[in-house]
Amino acid sequence: MEEYVGSDEMILHLGPQHPMQPGPFRLNLKLKGESVLDADVELGYIHKGIEKILENKTYLQGITIVDRICYLVALTNEECFVGCVEKLAGIEVPKRAQYIRVIIEELSRLQSHLLGLGEFGEFIGFVSMFMYTIREREEVLSLIDMVTGARVTHTYLRFGGVRQDLPEGFREKTLPVLNSLKKTITDYEEMFHSDSIYRERSVGVGTLTADIAKDLGVSGPALRATGVPFDIRKAEPYLVYEDLDFKVCTETAGDIFARIQVRLNEMRESIYLIEQCLDRIPSGPIFPANTPYGRRTPVMRVPAGEVFHRVEDPRGEMGMYMISDGSDKPYRVKVRGPYFPTLQALPPLIIGTTVADVAAISGSMDGCTSEADR
Amino acid sequence: MDARTIIESLTGKFPEIISETEIESEIRVRAHTDRAMAKEVCQYLKDSLQFGHLCSICGVDYPKRNEMEVVYHIASYDHPVVLTLKAVLSRDSPEIESVVPVYWNANWYERETYELYGIVFKNHPDLRPLLLPEEMLGEWPLRKDYEGFPNKTARNLV
Repeated sequence: MEEYVGSDEMILHLGPQHPMQPGPFRLNLKLKGESVLDADVELGYIHKGIEKILENKTYLQGITIVDRICYLVALTNEECFVGCVEKLAGIEVPKRAQYIRVIIEELSRLQSHLLGLGEFGEFIGFVSMFMYTIREREEVLSLIDMVTGARVTHTYLRFGGVRQDLPEGFREKTLPVLNSLKKTITDYEEMFHSDSIYRERSVGVGTLTADIAKDLGVSGPALRATGVPFDIRKAEPYLVYEDLDFKVCTETAGDIFARIQVRLNEMRESIYLIEQCLDRIPSGPIFPANTPYGRRTPVMRVPAGEVFHRVEDPRGEMGMYMISDGSDKPYRVKVRGPYFPTLQALPPLIIGTTVADVAAISGSMDGCTSEADR
Repeated sequence: MDARTIIESLTGKFPEIISETEIESEIRVRAHTDRAMAKEVCQYLKDSLQFGHLCSICGVDYPKRNEMEVVYHIASYDHPVVLTLKAVLSRDSPEIESVVPVYWNANWYERETYELYGIVFKNHPDLRPLLLPEEMLGEWPLRKDYEGFPNKTARNLV
């Protein structure tokens, strides 16, 4: 951004700590009156050096570290990391463990979208929305807690399986939560659709077209809201997603309204996926038979090689590139988070809008700065 | 478009530049490119082979070979193949042409790789540190011979 500021222009620093932000980053806005002339993002306030730490931890310890990339989507991060090791070591995951993983990751997607919706409501001045969604999210978190023993950082996945089987009565407790959630999602939808102020603030604001979104490299709901049906669960199926029935939710408008609508529809699909899994889940072991992998994995050496594995995170495409040199620690892990390119695309999106819309646009991206910083 | 077609098209267009190609599976291919032509290869991939989505750019350090690699992961919205494109640089003066004119979102990935590895991306529009503070520039923390970790940190904390 240029240093010189004309007499009728000013520079406004949003953040690093600001209630409208999903985490600490600094947004420098060059303003003329209320319109944004230029914008620049500064990152690094919660850089944790995850990639360096992973090089110095054994594979098993790494599961705990990747949890901390972003607390909201710890399970998808684990899935990506564990998937990399499974591909390198050629481990087959038993069907039951795959179903458990899908259930738990879709629950994780639900709670992430719920918090995203609530935060977005808060950003546009609809604070009660946060209270509504946090109440539902609590129910989902208790279900995850029941299985993994933790609310946000779970360390639940293991190479070849999951740490422990589903507890007794999980199905009976899950179905009522899902049923009430279905009703609540419809309520949210009605609320969003009927509120004229909300529509004014979201329809036609922060619009992305499909071509621009592809060029900017955004993924996840922000890309699907422009009409591109790009979902890693379909494009590159992992676990049992191939056998399950679900559709990729898209909208065509590409504005804030469409992004929120995509998230609402995706939550419905997640519920549908969990219901299918609960019906179909086979009995059997949760670790591959006759292998050293199990609840207490010994110090394992992974065969030398490299792999790039992608999973669908609630925010988009999560990928990890892992190089193994045959020792007990990875030689290099590159984490390709979905919010990093989305945050990069924020300045071109907000240039030309007004300050009031900055919060709405940035909120509709459902960010996690922790993951962009790693 | 499948993996074999992509590799054949790529080696047909750049016979001298593309080497060590490997079809890992139906959806994963690997290739090495000459570092001087990385940008041209990317341009061809984007224009002719539908590789419109840059997943990531990262560096890898190999002090034993005195080399560094820049690894591009390039995917597509139209076909499921992901290409891992590598360019080998000398560790003494790691320099490569920036691909920002081809892929807009390469900007931050290259800034990140620059501050963590010291790999200079020539003709980058704005090559300054992204995640690390300015004072850390020159430490190159993700290189394997970086002294700061864990030596400069409390041992019992790492």
